[in-house]
Amino acid sequence: MMDQEHIASAYDRDLDRVQSLIMRMGGMVETAISDAARALEMRDTELADQVRANDKLIDALEEQIASEVARVIAVRSPTAGDLRTVLSVLKISGNLERMGDYAKNLGKRTSVLSEMPAISGSGGALRRMTQLVNVMLKDALDAYIQRDVELAEDVRQRDADVDQMYNALFREFLTHMMEDPRNITACMHLHFIAKNVERMGDHVTSICEQVIYLVDGELPEDDRLKQDRTSYDISVSKV
Amino acid sequence: MSKDIKISAKGVDVFYGDTHAIKNVDIEIENKAVTAFIGPSGCGKSTFLRCINRMNDTIDICRVTGDILLEGQDIYAKSVDPVQLRARVGMVFQKPNPFPKSIYDNVAYGPTIHGLAKSKAELDEIVEQSLRRAAIWDEVKDRLHQPGTGLSGGQQQRLCIGRAIATAPEVLLMDEPCSALDPIATAQVEELIDDLRQNYTVVIVTHSMQQAARVSQKTAFFHLGHVVEYGDTNKIFTNPEDSRTESYITGRIG
Ligand SMILES: Nc1ncnc2c1ncn2[C@@H]1O[C@H](COP(=O)(O)OP(=O)(O)OP(=O)(O)O)[C@@H](O)[C@H]1O
Ligand SMILES: [Mg+2]
Repeated sequence: MMDQEHIASAYDRDLDRVQSLIMRMGGMVETAISDAARALEMRDTELADQVRANDKLIDALEEQIASEVARVIAVRSPTAGDLRTVLSVLKISGNLERMGDYAKNLGKRTSVLSEMPAISGSGGALRRMTQLVNVMLKDALDAYIQRDVELAEDVRQRDADVDQMYNALFREFLTHMMEDPRNITACMHLHFIAKNVERMGDHVTSICEQVIYLVDGELPEDDRLKQDRTSYDISVSKV
Repeated sequence: MSKDIKISAKGVDVFYGDTHAIKNVDIEIENKAVTAFIGPSGCGKSTFLRCINRMNDTIDICRVTGDILLEGQDIYAKSVDPVQLRARVGMVFQKPNPFPKSIYDNVAYGPTIHGLAKSKAELDEIVEQSLRRAAIWDEVKDRLHQPGTGLSGGQQQRLCIGRAIATAPEVLLMDEPCSALDPIATAQVEELIDDLRQNYTVVIVTHSMQQAARVSQKTAFFHLGHVVEYGDTNKIFTNPEDSRTESYITGRIG
């Protein structure tokens, strides 16, 4: 990236400002994810409600970022690295907003699940998966602000672990449901939660790709193997 | 060579007395495309542009070395008549310079001396079309026989554009053609440039990065007499190779 400053110093302030909004939004999403995971594990419906309420703040921040970016584009007509910066800000705020939605969804399902008998074993696995995604998000945001392509690439690779954890959970839920149909409702909710967390990982991956685009000017080639193999599992489990 | 090259410069140096204004420039300009020259003031854009139709010949202390080929033919060869060359390679100057004649005559002059019109009616038609394309017809149609020098700066600039396209040159060199124009006339001139590209090769010098990005397919970044970077406009404005290019187009201290 350019270390030099713009001749118009207000331009630097504009770019710094939208990027600091991204960092703030990222922090809020991190909190939402960890709170949602904790609420789910502890059956803490109050905390779950709080996560749902806070999502409005995340959405509002996304809108604020979009309007600030629009203003920068209109006033400064950014080019080259500056252009990539504002484009990545827009894209990343979209990723963060989606992640916030998934956290909110976790909160909603937590309220429903807390009324039902617990499914043994699933809590720990979901917590580990969520933690992994949250660390990935933190690292992705660090990679963004440091313009660290290596770290971004590393995080991107870690998404395979998330996919694997999701596959394992998927099979576990299937087993529970087949063992006892009374588990079906709870397992369906838990499965959606696992799927949402897996999707969060995809959004973190997309943030990492933006970091690479920002620095190199090109999106990375898609060399990651798709690790979600549950569509095969379904056909296998029919027999 | 996959692309059709209209102008090819090889090892071009230009001196004004002791001032070394252009330093070993190699560039291949595509046929039927718009090429933008950008770069800080004094970096040699106008100087290089003037080499392409030998306008530097008119400056006593100016010396040009190296080769400039127009469709493979050396334009500095003894056999080339600069006046004929300038009919093929037209120019719009940085400062508007209408002849001290009527608006009509300013435009009719070129087509007349090159015998492009068979009749008065045909000449009238060329004048009207040229002025229309230069986005000035409506403003001058009722005063065609008043002096061109009596127009406003922006109108003079458009008159000069009309004059330059009246002879249907193969190559049109434009040195900051929109520097004195309002946004409407600028948009009209950009529209004209885009239209000219169907049949002609256009080289435009501009200080507006947005204009270069909008109108050109190729961009050359000049810096201290060198061509630092030359390539697809899309690439230059989204992901330039050279840090000097990036500093310049993003408005940083370079
Ligand atoms: N007629 C001249 N006599 C002497 N030196 C000249 C002449 N024309 C240009 N120069 C010098 O040559 C260099 C390049 O000038 P040129 O006009 O080509 O720059 P430019 O890139 O077109 O700048 P601008 O964007 O300000 O029009 C400058 O150092 C300038 O002082
Ligand atoms: Mg100039």
